[in-house]
Amino acid sequence: MDPAALIPTPDAIPVHWGWFQLLLLLTFYLHILFMNVMLGTIIIAFVRHFQRPAETCPLTQEISNKLPFSIALAVNFGVAPLLFVQVLYGHFIYASSILMAALWLSIVGILIAAYYTAYIYRYQYEKMVDGRIVATGLISCLLLIIGFFFSNNFTLMLHPETWHSYFDHPAAMLLNFSDPTLIPRYLHFVFASLAVGGLAIALFFNHRQKKGDPKAGEWVRYGCNWFGYATFANFAIGFWFFGTLPKGLINPSSLVGGLFSIFLIIGVISALLAAIYGLRYRVMPALYLLLGSIFSMILVREFLRVAYLKPWFSLADLKLATAYSPLILFLLFFACGLVLIGWMLKITYQTYRNREVQS
Amino acid sequence: MNYPVWQLDAFGGGLMIAMIAVFHVYISHFAVGGGLFLVLTEHKAYREKDPSILDYARKHTRFFLLITMVAGGITGVGIWFTIALLNPGATSVLIHNFVFAWAIEWVFFTIEIIALLIYYYTYGRMDRRNHLIIGWIYFGAAWMSLFIINGIIDFMLTPGDWIQTHNFWDGYFNPTFWPALFFRTALCIIIAGLFGFMTSTWIKQASLRKKLVRYCALYLLIPFAVLLASAWWYKAALPAELQTLIFEIMPEMKLFITGFIYLSPILILGGLLLAIRLPSIVTRPVAVVMLLLGFAYMGCFEFIREGGRRPYILRDYMYSSSILKEDMAKVQQNGLLKEAKWVRNKNITVASELDAGREMYNILCLPCHSINGPLNDITKLSSIFSERGLKNLMAGMDKTHPYMPPFAGTAEERKAVAHYISYHLNGQRQSSEEVEISPVAAVDIPAFNDKQNEYVLLAWSDMGMRSMTDSSNSWMMLPPGVTLNATLILRGETPEVITEGVSLEYQVAADFSDPAAQVDFWQNSASLFNKEILRNTGLSGSGLNGIMKAGESTFSAELLPLVPYPNKGGYLPYPTVSITAKGSEGNTLVTTTVVAPVATEMGCRNCHAGPWRVGNRAGVSRQTAENVLAVHDRLSGTSLSAQVAAGKPVLCQQCHSDSNGRHPGNEQQLNMSAAIHGFHANFLTSQDASACTSCHPAAEDGSTRAFRGMHHSLELDCTSCHGNLSDHALTLLKWEQEKGNNRASVLISRLQPSAVDTVADINPRKPWVNEPDCLHCHLEFQVPEDDITFNQWTESEEELFRNRTDESGQLRCAGCHNSAHAVYPTVNPYNENLDNIQPLQYQGEPFPIGSNRNCAVCHTMTMDEEMHHPNMLREFRNQ
Repeated sequence: MDPAALIPTPDAIPVHWGWFQLLLLLTFYLHILFMNVMLGTIIIAFVRHFQRPAETCPLTQEISNKLPFSIALAVNFGVAPLLFVQVLYGHFIYASSILMAALWLSIVGILIAAYYTAYIYRYQYEKMVDGRIVATGLISCLLLIIGFFFSNNFTLMLHPETWHSYFDHPAAMLLNFSDPTLIPRYLHFVFASLAVGGLAIALFFNHRQKKGDPKAGEWVRYGCNWFGYATFANFAIGFWFFGTLPKGLINPSSLVGGLFSIFLIIGVISALLAAIYGLRYRVMPALYLLLGSIFSMILVREFLRVAYLKPWFSLADLKLATAYSPLILFLLFFACGLVLIGWMLKITYQTYRNREVQS
Repeated sequence: MNYPVWQLDAFGGGLMIAMIAVFHVYISHFAVGGGLFLVLTEHKAYREKDPSILDYARKHTRFFLLITMVAGGITGVGIWFTIALLNPGATSVLIHNFVFAWAIEWVFFTIEIIALLIYYYTYGRMDRRNHLIIGWIYFGAAWMSLFIINGIIDFMLTPGDWIQTHNFWDGYFNPTFWPALFFRTALCIIIAGLFGFMTSTWIKQASLRKKLVRYCALYLLIPFAVLLASAWWYKAALPAELQTLIFEIMPEMKLFITGFIYLSPILILGGLLLAIRLPSIVTRPVAVVMLLLGFAYMGCFEFIREGGRRPYILRDYMYSSSILKEDMAKVQQNGLLKEAKWVRNKNITVASELDAGREMYNILCLPCHSINGPLNDITKLSSIFSERGLKNLMAGMDKTHPYMPPFAGTAEERKAVAHYISYHLNGQRQSSEEVEISPVAAVDIPAFNDKQNEYVLLAWSDMGMRSMTDSSNSWMMLPPGVTLNATLILRGETPEVITEGVSLEYQVAADFSDPAAQVDFWQNSASLFNKEILRNTGLSGSGLNGIMKAGESTFSAELLPLVPYPNKGGYLPYPTVSITAKGSEGNTLVTTTVVAPVATEMGCRNCHAGPWRVGNRAGVSRQTAENVLAVHDRLSGTSLSAQVAAGKPVLCQQCHSDSNGRHPGNEQQLNMSAAIHGFHANFLTSQDASACTSCHPAAEDGSTRAFRGMHHSLELDCTSCHGNLSDHALTLLKWEQEKGNNRASVLISRLQPSAVDTVADINPRKPWVNEPDCLHCHLEFQVPEDDITFNQWTESEEELFRNRTDESGQLRCAGCHNSAHAVYPTVNPYNENLDNIQPLQYQGEPFPIGSNRNCAVCHTMTMDEEMHHPNMLREFRNQ
């Protein structure tokens, strides 16, 4: 069966695809940061509880406090890139989603379970000494499953040549194990989460430390160690991932291949430097380098998608049914929204600062 | 068609989306109205300087946050996941057209989340003014989310001018945008009150509980007027045809409309009940019940709105099957399997028919019909139909059921889908179509000696193909009654037609002597015809034997009580009747035998379920008859099933007039022929005679095979003279239309003529008066140049073949040629010569009387003039 015959016909887009690509990159960047913090911190909390079941420490307390926020923000900032990826690649992602529909839809239930467990972990933290390991373990498992389903779907969409399996597997639970990149790609995200989670912990306690908390330094180092070692581990996984990419997929002499190579190198170097700074407990330099590294890697991820889909589709193929006024309105609301959010965060910050001053 | 299908089977039919959507919509409305509730309650606490109210508001905020942010927020994403899985085509259209509306909604969603988290976590920490502002920001963002999403949701039901312009704003601010916004806003506040009951009834302090329960009741009661007014506005904003569809036609909508109507006062009363002082042991369960009723209320509304789109997912643009309206003709032309991307079977073979049927079912039916599931279970809905019935039903379902889409595929594909449903899902095993016929014994040809016999007696039935219905305890369309005619000729050089001084006695064959034992017509005759009809007597009083009534040149015995069931059992649709002419002194002049055809092979069961009533070959069973009435009741709003259940069977002609004037019917209704052909032509769409023989007893492999005359031997079929069913129906409907019957216009609008270019070219005709005629092909009695005639009709009843005479005016055409559909030489399926008795009796060969230069049958001299009609003096052409 000709795989091209299975690829659905895409709908027209209202503005040039570059707009959507830009919005996709920006919003996915925010999503991946929050997602990494969410997943990384809960796994770290689980490991801590596993190592010291009876301990009540500021690290896990703060993670339990902040986890509902990070889930809320990870989900919220996941909505936008999911929207924009549908605009550009809907005909691929819808098809692959249906091939694993039962698993894909189960994400909703799994996420609700993880979310409510996170609230239980938050509100029952003090009471549930023995239950903390169960709660964090459960949340970690649930979120890891969700992550795996995402990796599965977003690799499956790149392989129309495997879609014919649909005809033999009507249960809609197709897993993309025939793709050798699936496991290293997934682990690459998981270890990135551990690293980012570690740095988020370091950043939080670094702030505490600056406010004069004498015990915060320990946790800064703890977080930085997680960040550094997870990043180094991720180099190994990254090379594994790179090695599993199909031969000839990336042609460095092509535009996409060239950009892929450049940003990959930037990403690797900045991650390496970030890890070194991290292991030296230099939180802020590590943070800036990490943010740069993640952005580079997101670009690499996009170029990889373009390279995979090149035999089937190019973004320039999308038809245009021009309508710019809704875009302008969105940008207007987006700007106003940012101002409003900024104001709300400002007065919240002032509230807490005033209370600290008063106390 | 563009995407693969998630084969959900029992969870199909929209169950997944219904489960997630109703749940999410309920909570998301709470997320909007509840925001207002939070901030107003906080205001109230400050205004009344009551810290206990503030404490309640803070606790309610936590409850609110846990419900809306987790269950509400994630199921919102869940809806997105679900619609993309179940209807990716429509989701793609919504995403691509309204991407920036979605994006704006995401901006407000983000503001909502941040505002709510700040609002809750700074309770009692932030200064009052700013805290209230954060609360108002939350509510404003939540309401704006509603505002944004409302345009997209309503676009799906009423896309308005977008259909033509594809302009974002035309689609977004569509005809139901504003009423829906008001409606939903009111609903949000009501739901906030319902959730408020959940927390306020749990307050321990009685006075505070009473105060706040009453406060919550205001949220329920104050917006109700707005809700009902905007519901009316919402309804009025729907296009007229959509209003009719939702509120009058769609059967499954009734439950939800009724639910919505009844739940409105119940919710108001519940609110009032909670507002009075009651112990918490009462108010708490009532609060829970109210919350569940609110859920049901929301569900009713959403089901009405979702269901109202049918047969579209995006009204007037994309069908529920994801096939674009503009692509439908192409898919019907080329076939679904050719046009769909995600099918394995690109062609249908014997081996692949079932799997191809499954693949097509998944694309076309599964979006609305589950398999053994709770929503629109196809097995329940289709179990009453045979495979053939399903195939036919699918051909016209969009015309009689406007909430169903047209079948998107070819006739062959339709058959495959019907096969999948009937054979695979319903386990029906279609019996062999071919009916085996047991020949009757050799026919006794009465003696005739052309040297001695002075008389010739010709007899014929007025119809060569006569049907009757034998489901009299349910309904009656065609009562028993075969009319025989006869002509007595005194042979001679100039033969005479004799009607005076003689009598013709008829006697039905002994094997058909007790029809009342075979059918229940006589038991029900009083109910059906308002008069008692004596057992084994016909409607005009004729018995099984008697004297034929003399006319000017012919004798007749009207409406003999004949049924096709011999006393010994079985089915024989060709009873014989012997006729004896006697002189004034009672002496026998001549005797002959004639077939009196009567068939009950009426193929209602082909579509309407149930077995044949008799011998697996004929008769309308009770099950079939009841199904016919049930369908009639459903589609025409009658209550015939109830009437039958009450013991009063239905005479179809009570409403649908017959042409003979015995039953004038209801003037508002179509005549019987126009109604039954005009309706069924929607389903029996084949262009050939198989559409006709689905009901009439003329199938080549049927148990009657009533089309048995020479024209059958020459391989003509029903359509040769009557046109195909669609054309045939149009002629009848057009006559009714010209009389001013609007129903005819509706049915005409659903049919396409094929023999002529447009409906305007169809010549209307009155049934049983304006009929095709032999001379339309046999011009001037000559060899026809064409064997197809359509759209030419006899002018009056006198011109009908059965009434017309030769040029002498004495002999009926049918007297020599036999009845229509059985003209000599006939090959009767039960015995080759059963219909040829008289030609064999008088001339020893089965050709028309006097043909093949057999003038001596009547004339005792050589004839060289074509006295009866031109072109008769020659050798019979089709020997």
